Amino acid sequence: MDTSTSPISSSTHWIQEGILAYWTLFWLLNVMDKVIGGAHFLWVGRDRFAQFQKYFESAGLESPWVADAGLVVAAALEVFALVFCTGAWYHFRSHREEEARSWFLVGILLTLGTFTFFSIGDHWFGDRFELLEHTLFWFIAAVSWVTFIQLEHVELPSIFHRIPTGPMSIAIALILVTSASIFSYNESGFVKRTAALEAVKVGDHLYKVSFPFLGGSTVFEETLRQFQENHPDEFIDHIYTVPKPLRLKKADALIFYISTDDTQ
Amino acid sequence: MKEHKLMRSAILLFWTLFWGLSVMDKIIPDVQHLWVGKDFFALFVKFFASLGLQDPLYATIALAGVSGLEALNFTMYGAALWALMQGNGAKSEAWFFRGIFTSMGLFSLFSIADQVFGDRFQLLEHGLFWVVLLCSWILFKFFASETERTLSLGATKWALVTGLCLTLAATWSIRNFSQSTFDVGTKPVLGEEVVNGIWKFDFPFLADKVVWERTVNAFVEDHPELEVTYIYTGPSELNSKKKTHLLLYVFTQAKSTY
Repeated sequence: MDTSTSPISSSTHWIQEGILAYWTLFWLLNVMDKVIGGAHFLWVGRDRFAQFQKYFESAGLESPWVADAGLVVAAALEVFALVFCTGAWYHFRSHREEEARSWFLVGILLTLGTFTFFSIGDHWFGDRFELLEHTLFWFIAAVSWVTFIQLEHVELPSIFHRIPTGPMSIAIALILVTSASIFSYNESGFVKRTAALEAVKVGDHLYKVSFPFLGGSTVFEETLRQFQENHPDEFIDHIYTVPKPLRLKKADALIFYISTDDTQ
Repeated sequence: MKEHKLMRSAILLFWTLFWGLSVMDKIIPDVQHLWVGKDFFALFVKFFASLGLQDPLYATIALAGVSGLEALNFTMYGAALWALMQGNGAKSEAWFFRGIFTSMGLFSLFSIADQVFGDRFQLLEHGLFWVVLLCSWILFKFFASETERTLSLGATKWALVTGLCLTLAATWSIRNFSQSTFDVGTKPVLGEEVVNGIWKFDFPFLADKVVWERTVNAFVEDHPELEVTYIYTGPSELNSKKKTHLLLYVFTQAKSTY
């Protein structure tokens, strides 16, 4: 059943191509994020201008020109990293291994340069979390390069045409069960995205509202609207949000208490 | 230029700048004009105070010790980079080894402190830096054994032209976006009455405390018939992930009935 095999391509080649595809797409989407700017329909991205502006403003450089200049340097590094990674992928597909290697090296050097540039900013503006993030990306880029060139000398097992039917049947069954469960939960759970919540009286003029994980600002507003309708003789005096340390880890989502007073 | 020299330079440049800026952050205390950095003194004082060691001398001595080690690291990485630029690979490798060894020692010390002070996130952070350092050394050694291969890019004219065109497009977009959104960092936010007497303000990413003050003042001026009774900052759980920055709810009542 699954014993006859016919190799179509070395998996070494697939992994090398996967590395090139990853970095090409990585930089393509980063450049797109810079060109699009802001959140739109079908694209949220990250507001880098706001981030840069706040960083430079915190250092006393309030002019938007400074943030723009920083962002343009970052964008230029990203654009050239994209161009060279794309070129490397193109040469690789055209079986020009020497050129692919050299183009990818330049792409990787530009990637390392970009993350070095970002980590300078992280030190400057005291953002240690971003420093860790950029150091890890820097490291992933360096490891990608070593893996790419090491694979030139490695012969990994080939990929076969015929896929074993046993594991495939199990996989398909699992996909069906998982999908059924997700669609079923969607039927019963999506309403939690908008439906108002019940405010439970827990004390004198004190009500508790426990949010589901799907709840957002709409649920919050609908809950307040319903509360006002159900309690016309009271007005909201204060809302207390239970801080995270008081919640039961992952079991509790947002919880808030509504404190009221009698309407005069 | 040789491939392995380029990669080795990139590694050394990163770590030299990393330690150089860490040392600068210790030399420049607190937030200054043109430098923000991180207030390590406050962090150390709080850590030691949590152990019951209230005297700031403990934090000062610890920070001085850490800064000394960081300065030593910076010097070693700087020496390694300089030796590589001079074409002395063996000397560069020796200095880089010394730098890596002391850096890993420093992150080991940080990790011990993180466990003592119970800061698990910083423990993860320092553990990751430690392993990146270790792997940087392995990569640096790996590049030494690589062949003397040089770059052979072939024709790059189109790559440069494409890169320049894309950079110009990105620059135009960045300037355009900057000009159209810079004002939201100063202008008051417009509110929307979402429930009877409750107004919602969706703050943009650029907004800060000044925008908050202007928003509240503008609202009071625009609605003289209303009295602000309460202001509630929406917790992050109410935000639609990356799209919303900050939600503010202003509770009001008609002046005559309040």
